[in-house]
Amino acid sequence: MTKLNFDFRNKLDAMLDGDRLNYCYQCGACVGDCPAAKYSEEFNPRVILLKALFGMEDELIADDSPIWLCTNCYTCFERCPQDVRPIEVIIALKNITVDQEKNPVEISKIVESVRKTGRTVTYTPLVDKRRQELGLGKIEPISDAVKEIEIITKGL
Amino acid sequence: MMDVGRHPNITLYTYSEVENVTGFIGNFKVTIRKKARYVDENECTACSDCAEVCPVIVPDEFQQGFSSRKAIYIPFPQAVPSTYTLDMESCLGNNPIACGKCYEACEKKCIDYDMQDEIIEIDAGAIITATGMDVYDPTELDEYGYTRYENVITSMEFERLISASGPTEGHFIRPTDRKVPKTVGFIQCVGSRSEKRGNPYCSNICCMNTVKDTLLLSDHYPGVECKVFYMDIRAFGKGFEDLYMRSKQEGVKYIRGLPGEIEEDPNTKNLILTVENTSNGKLEKHNLEMVVLSVGVIPRQDNKIIKQLLTLSTTSDGFYMESHPKLKPVDAPTRGVYFAGCAESPKDVKDSVTQASAAAARASILLNAGKVKIEAITSRVIPDKCIYCGICARVCPYHAIVPPDKKTKTLPKVVEAACAGCGTCAAECPSDAIIMRHFRDEQIMAQIESILSEKPEEKIVTFACNWCSYPGADLAGTSRIQYPPNNRVIRTMCSGRVDEKFVFHAFKLGAPIVLVSGCHFSDCHYINAVRWTQKRIEKLWNKLERKKIRPERLQLEYISAAEGQKWARVIKELEEIRKKVTKKEIEETMKILSE
Repeated sequence: MTKLNFDFRNKLDAMLDGDRLNYCYQCGACVGDCPAAKYSEEFNPRVILLKALFGMEDELIADDSPIWLCTNCYTCFERCPQDVRPIEVIIALKNITVDQEKNPVEISKIVESVRKTGRTVTYTPLVDKRRQELGLGKIEPISDAVKEIEIITKGL
Repeated sequence: MMDVGRHPNITLYTYSEVENVTGFIGNFKVTIRKKARYVDENECTACSDCAEVCPVIVPDEFQQGFSSRKAIYIPFPQAVPSTYTLDMESCLGNNPIACGKCYEACEKKCIDYDMQDEIIEIDAGAIITATGMDVYDPTELDEYGYTRYENVITSMEFERLISASGPTEGHFIRPTDRKVPKTVGFIQCVGSRSEKRGNPYCSNICCMNTVKDTLLLSDHYPGVECKVFYMDIRAFGKGFEDLYMRSKQEGVKYIRGLPGEIEEDPNTKNLILTVENTSNGKLEKHNLEMVVLSVGVIPRQDNKIIKQLLTLSTTSDGFYMESHPKLKPVDAPTRGVYFAGCAESPKDVKDSVTQASAAAARASILLNAGKVKIEAITSRVIPDKCIYCGICARVCPYHAIVPPDKKTKTLPKVVEAACAGCGTCAAECPSDAIIMRHFRDEQIMAQIESILSEKPEEKIVTFACNWCSYPGADLAGTSRIQYPPNNRVIRTMCSGRVDEKFVFHAFKLGAPIVLVSGCHFSDCHYINAVRWTQKRIEKLWNKLERKKIRPERLQLEYISAAEGQKWARVIKELEEIRKKVTKKEIEETMKILSE
């Protein structure tokens, strides 16, 4: 049986500065317009919030957790009548997952790519080969972007 | 309404506005502006000859704009008095040369284009405020497309469409193709229970209104499929749950979940609604021919005018506040004023009738007695000391003090029937010219002296108001909550009574800490007297700082009668601050203040 884990909820509240999460009354307004929920039955912001309220840490903080399906579109933020800001809860959950290094490998790869080359699409040797065939040069990291990212991460 | 119109003891002023109210309980003087109808209401027989010839056509407000009316009209068929009214805004101009058709058509010649507004002054012993409410405008909730899709209507518009006296004579048809819809969706809580858009409170009537609407629909058109999208159905009253169950038995589908954006099929003008059915977690798509938004109730947008005239206060939701939420639910804070209906909070017909009956009974008690008993806690002006500054009249939350006049040396006059005894005037009076009976300066000073007569450095001097903070302290005691025993409470009727000189007197006698505790702003028992407390304490903090006394030693708190826990916590915190106040500091303060 799952036990209520208030520590986890408190931890989330602390990250979200405020206890807005506790005001969720599960009306489902966040789900109706959610583009991710439209395409995947797995993803349901209301259920994620319910699990967060119950403190079901194991299900949310994992590499196969549904939180990674969120498209960050902020529609739920707009729709929520209680100003719970589901998207911010999901972002906080993602941050916790990354801190515990439980995130999917793909995410780490993309983050690494952004940090090193400034590109969100990961680089593979195959791309180089294709470009060579077409007579294009090698892909170089975007130096300005890399510099800026360095400054930003330093700030964090 | 007819009965009211014909009753010998009731004078009905329709198409009129209250301009001014002066006086006090038993002796109100009310000025009423009776607006010009441009039709003699005693002569008009409502024969409709004038409306037949009127060339001006405007949308009919009563029919929610679904049909039209003429510039000369009766607002709705049952209107009392049954008299035509000329709407000057849309009339072709009160120029008989321009039009004047109605004047010619009227056999009894009761149309008068030169009629003027009439000012009527009446004496009243009691006033019942039954100003009603407005409905929420769902334009703000753009995802429901109220302004974009014709087939999305509000529950008010639904009411007109299904009414026998409505524009369709009771035939429920949808606006785009004028056919009876086969599927109708109802969306609940539109503008209610939302922190962000609309109002945070529950509007009380919309759930049962929708249940009734679905029953009406399935009664009139047995084939119509109704779907209700809701977060909670609040069927809380007598017989309400039965009605809800009956609606379910009729085949109405109740789906728990608030829908997202409504889309319109451009060909059929049907509405497609995506919603999560929270009972199974599945995302569902519903194709509906019509959607009814169950809109919430909001306070009347112009209720601030009456609020000012009658010195009322409103709760955070904008409705008028009662004198006491539990024990005086129909009385206004101003004596002799009572509430009925939605002016005070959203309520259904039954509750409105209950409250109106109570208000009438409360008023008739007062009128039959012909006199009123008030507590002897009122203020009195000492003529010799008064400097005619008029501050007392300005701060009085009840406007119970007639302002003085310096030129004619007229003293301020306390209307004792209107005075509630908060003591704000006595505390604000710069020349100590006001005596607050039973809470006189001497009495309170003596209490301070007695508290600080022994070991003053160990005491916390506390001023607590009679209605919230003092019972809050009581609650802490009866709940056996432990808190430091060195706090000494002085009771005043309102925290507004706490004069600057009490605070200085306490510090002068060696008090380490002074606490002033009052009600929360929203439930001040003297309309807004606690605001004056706040202003005064803020000024005092500046004064203390200028005198080189740490302002932290004077504390202001808002503790309600239910907050025994908070009381104990505050006193515990103050005890921590008190421990840090050294003997040397107290001595310095005493020296500064006795200079």
